[in-house]
Amino acid sequence: MTSITTDSPAPAIAYRSLVTRRIFILGLLVGLLVLSIAVDVSLGPARYSVADVLRTLFAPADADVQMRVVVWDIRMPMAMLAVTVGASLSLAGAQMQTILANPLASPFTLGLSAAASFGAALAMVLGVALFPAAISLMVPINAFLMAMAAALLIFGLSTLRGVTVETIILLGIALVFSFNAALALLQYFASEQALSAVVFWTMGSLTKATWGKVAVTAVILVLCVPLFARRAWALTAIRLGEARAAAMGVPVRRLRLEALFLVSLLAAVPVSFVGTIGFIGIVGPHVARLLLGEDQRFFLPGAMLAGALILSATSVLSKALLPGAVLPIGIITALVGVPFFAALILTKGRKAW
Amino acid sequence: MFFRFTLGATILCLFSASAFAAPITVTDIAGREVTVEAPVNRVILGEGRQIFFAVVLDGENPFERVVGWRDDFREAAPESYEAYAEKFPQISEIPTFGGFKDGTFDIEQAVSLSPDVMIMNLEAKAATDEAGYEEKLAKVGIPIVYVDFREQPFEHTAQSMAIIGKLFGEEDRAADFNAFYQEQLTRITDVIEAQSDLERPLVFVERAGGYSEDCCMSFGNGNFGRMVELAGGKNMAAPFIPGTFGTVNAEQVIASNPDQIIVTGGNWEAYVPGGAWVGVGPGSDEAQARAKLEALMKRPAFTGVTAVETNEVHAIWHQFYNSPYSFVAVQRLATWLHPDLFADLDAEETLKELHERFLPVDYRPGYWVSLK
Repeated sequence: MTSITTDSPAPAIAYRSLVTRRIFILGLLVGLLVLSIAVDVSLGPARYSVADVLRTLFAPADADVQMRVVVWDIRMPMAMLAVTVGASLSLAGAQMQTILANPLASPFTLGLSAAASFGAALAMVLGVALFPAAISLMVPINAFLMAMAAALLIFGLSTLRGVTVETIILLGIALVFSFNAALALLQYFASEQALSAVVFWTMGSLTKATWGKVAVTAVILVLCVPLFARRAWALTAIRLGEARAAAMGVPVRRLRLEALFLVSLLAAVPVSFVGTIGFIGIVGPHVARLLLGEDQRFFLPGAMLAGALILSATSVLSKALLPGAVLPIGIITALVGVPFFAALILTKGRKAW
Repeated sequence: MFFRFTLGATILCLFSASAFAAPITVTDIAGREVTVEAPVNRVILGEGRQIFFAVVLDGENPFERVVGWRDDFREAAPESYEAYAEKFPQISEIPTFGGFKDGTFDIEQAVSLSPDVMIMNLEAKAATDEAGYEEKLAKVGIPIVYVDFREQPFEHTAQSMAIIGKLFGEEDRAADFNAFYQEQLTRITDVIEAQSDLERPLVFVERAGGYSEDCCMSFGNGNFGRMVELAGGKNMAAPFIPGTFGTVNAEQVIASNPDQIIVTGGNWEAYVPGGAWVGVGPGSDEAQARAKLEALMKRPAFTGVTAVETNEVHAIWHQFYNSPYSFVAVQRLATWLHPDLFADLDAEETLKELHERFLPVDYRPGYWVSLK
């Protein structure tokens, strides 16, 4: 009896210290991300000093033309696109895992990236524009339209009666295989020039970065995040199991459809700009979950920060590994990220999922 | 097995038209000794673009011997295909086989065309061996001969040409071409080698500039990278690209500050409609090509670069890399890089002479353009 009364303030204290710890971890992630962006912007074959880069950043008008172009038109868009794309893909993966209750789910499990690759290849191999009005943006628009078509197909099928979470995932896998086969067919008939363009595209690369693309991805993030944040507790509840969430008054079905739509948008746009960078969508959320747990108030920003940090650090690494050349970033994300991820899962005592 | 072989051989003998055919042995580029009944009358080309060499030997009717080819000529070099199709309409009826990849063909179809020989590219050997095609074809008496105009063009072109000349029974014609080829190539290499203190300008070759949104696809030591070195330049991308193909960081162009920029181009309307590529090639629109080349130089990677400031910016036909005319590209590059050393050399004259003496189609200008 006495022991219980003396212990009664403990859960509150424990909760408060847990929250403090999580806020601290989020702060740490922000700090690391800022550091990574700084290194990304100051690193490059043109070997400018950090002081020069800083001066160009804060007073671009005074800098010499070449330096301004390098910092503002080449390095900054790439560094920023790494952040927005990393955050978008990771957020998309996080919510996909949440609503589908599956640790393997990511936008790519549902065939979105396969569909985008197919759309892009359609443009690069056959010169087919799905939206002929903007021919200069043929590749990204094709990729986006295909990815959204795949997403809407899944979306439409999941509104049917009797469609469970497992069915959605299986349908997604069916889409992955169909689009991969269609892509392989296109590659088989492609000329050498077109083939190498397709292969390079599917490896993912930040070299196509422009300020316009940074803006588009940022706007989509800014629109999606509040919508997810408003549903934060409901999404947390869904992780306890569909039945329990429903008992708590969460409209599980509607929530899942809404999230599915937002996730499609979050994944399709970055993929159409940078190509396939599949790893972030799975690993970003898992890193956040291991560090911060399931509570969406922390999990949501954590997943975005983790994704952005991974992609930004990868961008730094790709410059350091092969200075002067461009190593497709999709290759490095997986090669470097996987050992780190495995170490994190294996050393962490508690269950990863 | 022996029975099948003799049966196949007998059938082939019955169908082989020439009564003069006698077995000869050639050593191909892969170092294999192959016995072929020559001169051959029915040939399968393992790559459609091998026709570039076949036409040199069979000026009158270059497609008479060709009973089948891989369907890549039309795709990869549309302007050349059209020029040939205009003069020899029958080329659209030559059976094509397989996909566009090396070494992927339907062996049954190949056998049914009953060729005297199959001429394959060296780079297809791995795939062909993998599938065991060589043994299977040998059983029905169809030999494979490997040639190479692509992997090591400047080492293997003359040798490959001599081999095909032997097979076709046109050895004199092959020797004529080889003499011309050597003569034209040494006009550059001899001069470059003779310079004791040659200043090699730094050259950035942008592969298929404007083909995709990304900047700065380039070449390592092979291909156009090699041609730049032969022409007395220094290939800017060589230290950064380990293989033949790769992409350099846009910023590297600014950092390296090349003296000359060469963009490879071609008519890629079929793949990138309305794209930013420079459409040089036979019969191209020069004014349009120049305008597109100028537009490409406005991208961030070329800001304030010496080559752009001094207008040392050129575009050249991308297909030079896999055609027998690559020595002409070397000449053109050399005259851009060292105008003083090669003041008396006109690459266009060489290209014209090549057409007049060896090719069945007429010369049409437009293979290059320069901002100089």
